[in-house]
Amino acid sequence: MGDRKEARDEEFQSFVVGRWPRLLRTAFLLTGEQHAAEDLVQSTLEQVYVAWRRVGSADDPEAYVRRVMINAHARKHRKRLKEFLAPRDDSGLAREVADTGDRIAQADDRGALLTALADLPPRQREAVVLRYWEDLTETQTAEAMGCSVGAVKSNTAKGIAKLRAIPGLADMVTSGEGRRK
Amino acid sequence: MSADRERHTMTDRDIALLLADAADGAEIGIAPTQAVIRGGRRRRARRWAIATATALAIVGSTATLALAGLPDGDGHQVAPAATQRATTTPDAFQDAPHRTTLATGTDQGKKWKVFIDVWGAPRDEAEAQVQLTAMAEYEESAPDVRKASDLVGKVAYFVYRGYGDTTSPVLENTVVASDAMSDTDLTSGALPLVPGAGNPVRLGIGSVAKTAERVLCHMKDGDGISLLKAPASEETDNVEPAIRSAEGSPYNWFVCVAPKGTEFESAEVTALS
Repeated sequence: MGDRKEARDEEFQSFVVGRWPRLLRTAFLLTGEQHAAEDLVQSTLEQVYVAWRRVGSADDPEAYVRRVMINAHARKHRKRLKEFLAPRDDSGLAREVADTGDRIAQADDRGALLTALADLPPRQREAVVLRYWEDLTETQTAEAMGCSVGAVKSNTAKGIAKLRAIPGLADMVTSGEGRRK
Repeated sequence: MSADRERHTMTDRDIALLLADAADGAEIGIAPTQAVIRGGRRRRARRWAIATATALAIVGSTATLALAGLPDGDGHQVAPAATQRATTTPDAFQDAPHRTTLATGTDQGKKWKVFIDVWGAPRDEAEAQVQLTAMAEYEESAPDVRKASDLVGKVAYFVYRGYGDTTSPVLENTVVASDAMSDTDLTSGALPLVPGAGNPVRLGIGSVAKTAERVLCHMKDGDGISLLKAPASEETDNVEPAIRSAEGSPYNWFVCVAPKGTEFESAEVTALS
């Protein structure tokens, strides 16, 4: 019995090591802050550990992990999100147009996008992150968020529309494209 | 593909690229696998405690309703639940836990001990904040407490098992200070007496109502161990297994150790005051 438990722990450890970077990036987009993201992923994985016996042998453990993370995010970070994501610089420098390829400008761009995400209601933010960063289908997103496909469509559309309506962000898209070329 | 469709697709892709760029801002360190597993184990222990306590609270309230104000089998008046709860007032704020040894013994030449730390319920957020800081110094972290206000009005307790030179937390929980067990309510958990995986599960630790006078622990081989309520002990070295109060705790506690060759199975309250 001890051997089985050890094997399960090892399997779980491999899972954590393999998924940590991706989960952390998703959590970073959801929370907008490094420490909050780490807390969210750690708390998610702790919950996954408790159910690992069942989850590890499931066809799609990723789906369970996503569901746990979205639930944890909704529960623990929704109220505090504004606080975490409040713009850190009061100087207004983030709005300055910089040369493409400039790392400082890139950091500013990230900050601007995170701030824009923070302004979205949590469900819209979750839908946008799952659909456009995690690249999930509407059905998978609905499973992760515990809602209907219709609600996913609606939240995604509203979230994306709000992001598109931000002038600075639209400029950033253009400059961001330039950087990648 | 129409112009609109093309524009829409492009924009979606742009947003995906921007998100990917922003996600790159996360600093990816080494996955804290050991911390995650430790946290997971703590959650599992807590889940046991909370799930059992919840289930028993339902049973307890039903039983209390039936017994409230009625004489028990021996003609004693059974305290109604409301009276019992009213006598449990929030403890004063503490900057250190009440530590009570619940039981000690010797196994294979090594001394073992089970003790509990109980933190009184802070009365406001400021006290809770100071208490959380004090808890951190004891390396204790109140479960389900994310911010100081979560701790206000709640008692936090941490049960430890010491064996030889190894001391490990085995149970932790936070409960509202007015929480009370009644009648034959009992929560118990079982774990190896000797730290490490694969050991026989010989140690049973549980909590009961303050009115519980006798607990019968059942072993897997069919034998039983009867524990009686003992007066509060100041001893820390020779504490015989019994039902004991722990200062600050809304419940009394017991510890059963199964003899070598068998394991702890369950426990029940067999006598009330």
